[in-house]
This record gives sequence, structure tokens and C-alpha cells, in this order.
Amino acid sequence: MDAHRPVSWRKWAVGGPPLAYLVVFFAIPTLIMAAASFRSPGEFGGLAPLVGEDGSLDITLESYVRLVEGTVYLEVFVKSIAYALVTTLACLALAYPLAVLIAQSPRKYRDLMLLLVILPFWSNFLIRIYAWMIILGPNAALAKAINGVRAVFGAEPVSLLFSSFAVLVCLVYVHLPFMVLPLYANLEKHDRALLDAAQDLGANAWRRFWRITFPLSLPGVYAGAALVFIPALGIFAIPDILGGPNDTLIGNLIKQQFLETRDWPFGSVLSIVLTVAALALAGLAAWIGRRGSAEVARA
Amino acid sequence: MDKRPLAATLLALALLALPAAAADKLHLYNWNNYIAPETVKRFEAECRCEVVQTYYSDNEELLAKLAAGAKGYDVLVPTGNTVEALVKGGQLLPLDKSKLPNLRNVDPAYLNTPFDPGNRYSTPYAMSTTILGYNDEKMKELGLPTDTWAVIFDPRHLAKVKGRVTVLDSSAELFAAAFKYLGYSANDVDEKHWRQAADLIKKAKPYWAAFNASSYIKELTVGNIWLVHGYSNDIFQANQDAQAAGRKFRILQGMPKEGAVLAVDSMVIHKGAPRPDLAHQFINFMLDGRNSADLTNLIGSGNPNLDAAKSISPELKALPAVFPPKDVAAKLEQLKELTTAQRRLRNRLWTEIKAAR
Repeated sequence: MDAHRPVSWRKWAVGGPPLAYLVVFFAIPTLIMAAASFRSPGEFGGLAPLVGEDGSLDITLESYVRLVEGTVYLEVFVKSIAYALVTTLACLALAYPLAVLIAQSPRKYRDLMLLLVILPFWSNFLIRIYAWMIILGPNAALAKAINGVRAVFGAEPVSLLFSSFAVLVCLVYVHLPFMVLPLYANLEKHDRALLDAAQDLGANAWRRFWRITFPLSLPGVYAGAALVFIPALGIFAIPDILGGPNDTLIGNLIKQQFLETRDWPFGSVLSIVLTVAALALAGLAAWIGRRGSAEVARA
Repeated sequence: MDKRPLAATLLALALLALPAAAADKLHLYNWNNYIAPETVKRFEAECRCEVVQTYYSDNEELLAKLAAGAKGYDVLVPTGNTVEALVKGGQLLPLDKSKLPNLRNVDPAYLNTPFDPGNRYSTPYAMSTTILGYNDEKMKELGLPTDTWAVIFDPRHLAKVKGRVTVLDSSAELFAAAFKYLGYSANDVDEKHWRQAADLIKKAKPYWAAFNASSYIKELTVGNIWLVHGYSNDIFQANQDAQAAGRKFRILQGMPKEGAVLAVDSMVIHKGAPRPDLAHQFINFMLDGRNSADLTNLIGSGNPNLDAAKSISPELKALPAVFPPKDVAAKLEQLKELTTAQRRLRNRLWTEIKAAR
């Protein structure tokens, strides 16, 4: 019996600090947010006093009622989910071939290629977004080339900067490494013998990919999708800087509540709905993923 | 090996560190680029202290930070209605006017405002107006007026500059401009007028390139954007940058005849100020005409300091957005605080505007 005790003590010593870190810096702020969502906004930011001058308790559902009063907030939610979905799919389409390429390269090039994928993280996030302002600007080569081609067909020139296109391009650019890395980590572990066996049994390249590589890579796909989708859902800097007048996303709306409107309770409500939506979608993906792997196992 | 040099070096370092650690520090929480570097140096020499600056990019950021309990700032430079919010929120220390002899330099027109009656807590620092900024070459070419809000709200004008216009990403500023265009006060609180303004904005929105409060200076400078609703200081800066880059066009300020928003930024002392003594010394220093003029010469801010006028360049003095003549000044309004319920309604309309197709 005594022999077990130090083991469990050690387990806590190792696992305890990260657990405490999560509890303190994730759970507590989330609980504060949940509590704030049932309160009224203070006149100068923050919350109204819990016990009012007349002794009444400040607990209200008003902020939740506001959310469903009209459709405008829900529309912004739907738009944000659509942007995040498009971003995730585009990242997947671009990252998959790249991850396969890296995983199949000779070992000596692999580290270099991975390093190149991570390289953009060495410069500041905002600076990279500002760089896109220059790339997409109306006097830059890209816009001139596109509008030059459009002019040949008699089409009106288009503006790339300050548009949904700019927002999506930058969303994909920023999140692409988060899709490449888990995909690579998965693909690199695949046993080539499986593919050789399939080839021996007469499967062509497409069939080998579709029946072996892709099903085996699904855990990497789900991990990458979660890593891209969730941050893309809440982002506000990219639509703020590159977006046009129609590119307000839920992240911008939440930021507005805490700054311009000084309405922390409503900002909390929007954040909670965002968190729940992200969790629900991640749960759905995990559920589909499990069903998918069960089918693969059966087949 | 002789260890004495090492010990001596360590001792020397320790001695050097002592006065540094004990040095007097003034913590100034200010707008970005809102004090001339020479002015800071001069004050540091005068007070034998160090000025530690931190920055905010809008009043809401300042309020949110203080509401969350931020401490350690001595002097803040918020705008009129934010001064009111801070006063009502009990966030400020009353000024000791016996320590501010230079207060007599301030133009009485900017003293004793409804935001802080009797200037118990605040004294004017500098000001700006929210006006039109434009590329003179393009606007002349297109034959568009530059002295009316119609140019950013009326689709007849906007059709000529579609996609080349930005407006501030601030509901308070944009609604105020729309109110002025519709002939109401910038501080109108009639819900019907608010909806009317929201409709006006929604109809103009398809012609705008973006709601933008950060990069429009650069976009004006490089010629991507030709017309903005923006702050006079920013438009001044855009022209300076354009001239420095040798552009053929100029970026000019257009004062709308319907009137505009005036923002007077004031110096206040935070209630948790570690050094109220240095804070008073700094405020008095900045009320000196020469120090106040430095800022105007640097960024083109309006100046409420009568003693500063003699140190300001004549071309700057001629700008109506910087030094509004009486007839223009009569149509300028400072924004007032909204109540919580009004802010919620405003945000709802604003979200509808932003989400509208």
C-alpha cells in the first residue's frame, strides 16, 4: 500500500500545475463571464452594483432576451460560422497536399520544410495582416493584374482590399500552419507497407488514397479543423483591418460591447453563445469522427 | 585569479542601480503620439524625474482599463465626455489650483464646461474636430463639394467616389455627423431621429470602402482613399506624410458647413496616482504656451492655450479645423455621455447598420 502513495503523489506533482493553470485561467474567467451575463451594465463600464440603492438584487435575463429580440445578432453568428467554415475547408484543401508532400520527403528535407511552415510565426500577427493591406491594395501588382485582365473582358475593376475576399484570404493565411502541423504529425506515422499491400492487390493510386491514407488521417483532419475553426470563429482583428463595410463578425461585436457600448453583460452573453457554439461544433465533429472510424474498422 | 575587479564592478553596478530604482517617475497614460518628444525631455530636465508613457487608442479603452481596476497612472488625457464619466465614477483627484498658475493661459471659452463645471478635476490640453479629409486633386477632378456632410451621405455625390471613401468606425462619431447633416444636434437623443440617421447611414454604406479608424491616414497618403470622415489631427498628419513622400496631391481638411464634433482632451489626475505632486507639476508645465505649442506644431492639434498662439506656425493658425473662427466654432459641439439604455439602443442600431446588406 505504501508503495502506491509516492506514485500518486508524483502523478499530482506532475499533472497538478497544468491542471491548476487550466482551472485558474480558463474555468474562473468563464465563470465570471457566466455570472456577468445575468447582471446589468454599470454606467461607466463594468457591472452595476449587485445590491441596488433600493436594496434590490441586480440579477436579470435582459441580456439574453436582447439576443433573441431580433434576428440581427443571430445573423452575425451565422455569418461568422460561415466564414470560419470556409476558412477551415480552404485550409484543409491547401494543407493536405502540403502535409503529404512533407511526410513523404526524405528525412533531411523534412525539418527544413516544417521550419518554413512555422516561419511566419516569427513575425508579429498584426504586422502580417498589415502586409496583406499592401499586397491587396489597389495600386499593388496583384490588383492591377486582376483588373487588367478584367478590363480585357470589359468588366468593372474590383477592389481587393476592404472586402470579404481580403478577410477570407488572410484568415486562411493566418491559420494554415495550424492545419499543416497536425496533418503532418498524423501522415508521417502511416505505415507504407499498407499502401504497398494495397498496390499488390491491384488498387490504383486514387483508391489507395481514398480507402487507406485518408481514413487513417482523419484524426489529424479533425485536430487541424478544430485548431483552425475555433480561433477563426472569434477573430476580430482581421475583419477590423481588412474587412469592408459588410464584414462585421461576432468577434467585432463582442469587442464593441466591452469597449464602445460599455455593456459587459451583453458582451458576456455573446461570448458564452460563441463558446457553446464552438464546443457544440467540436463535439459534433468528434462524434462524426468516431462514427467514421467505426465504419472504417468495420470495412 | 584576482576577483577584486569583479567585486568592484558589481559594487559599481549596485550603486548605479540605486539612484535608478529610487528615481522619481511620472506615469502618463496618453494617446499615442500626443506629446512632442522634446517636450518630454524638457520636463524630465525640469523635474529631474522620468516620464513613463503608456498609450491608449480610444477613450473606451481607457475607461475599460480603469473600470477593471488598473492602477499606477498619474496623469490621463481623456476627451470631454470621458472626463464626465470619470468624474461621476469617482475616478479622479481634485486639482489643487494653487499649484497651477499657468491655468490663466487657457482660453475661457474652453473652461467651465458641463463636463466638469468649475474645472475641479480637469484642464484643457489640446483639441481636434471630426471633419472631412480629402485628396484635393481627385475631388476637383470629380467636381465634388468638400464643405458639406452631403458628400459622404448623399448617394448622388457618393456614386462618383464609390469605394474610395472611409468613415470612422465609431458609432458616436458617425451618428453625430449624420445628425448634423439632418439638421439635428450632435447630441440628439430622440429615438425617431436616431432611426432616421441609421437609415441615412444604411443607404450610404454600399458606397463606402470601409469603416476605418486606424489605417485611413495611410490610405489617404498613398492615394487609395480620396475622401474620409476623420479627425483633424489625422488628416493633418496624412498631408504631412503625403508631402514628405513627394506626392503630387495634397490632403486637405474640409469643415462641413452643417457643423461638426469638437473633442477637447483634458489633463486629469487619477485617484490612485502614486505622485500627485509630479502630476501637478506636469500639468502646469503643459499649460505653458511654448510646451503646449510644441504639440500643435507636431501633430496639428487645435490649441485652447492663448499663450501658445505666438509659438505656432502661421500656416497652422490659418486652418479653421485647428483654430476655428467664431462662426465655425458656434457650430461645433462636444459629444455628451449617453445613458446605459441609450448606449444599448445605439449599439443595436449600429449592429443593424453593420449587418445590413
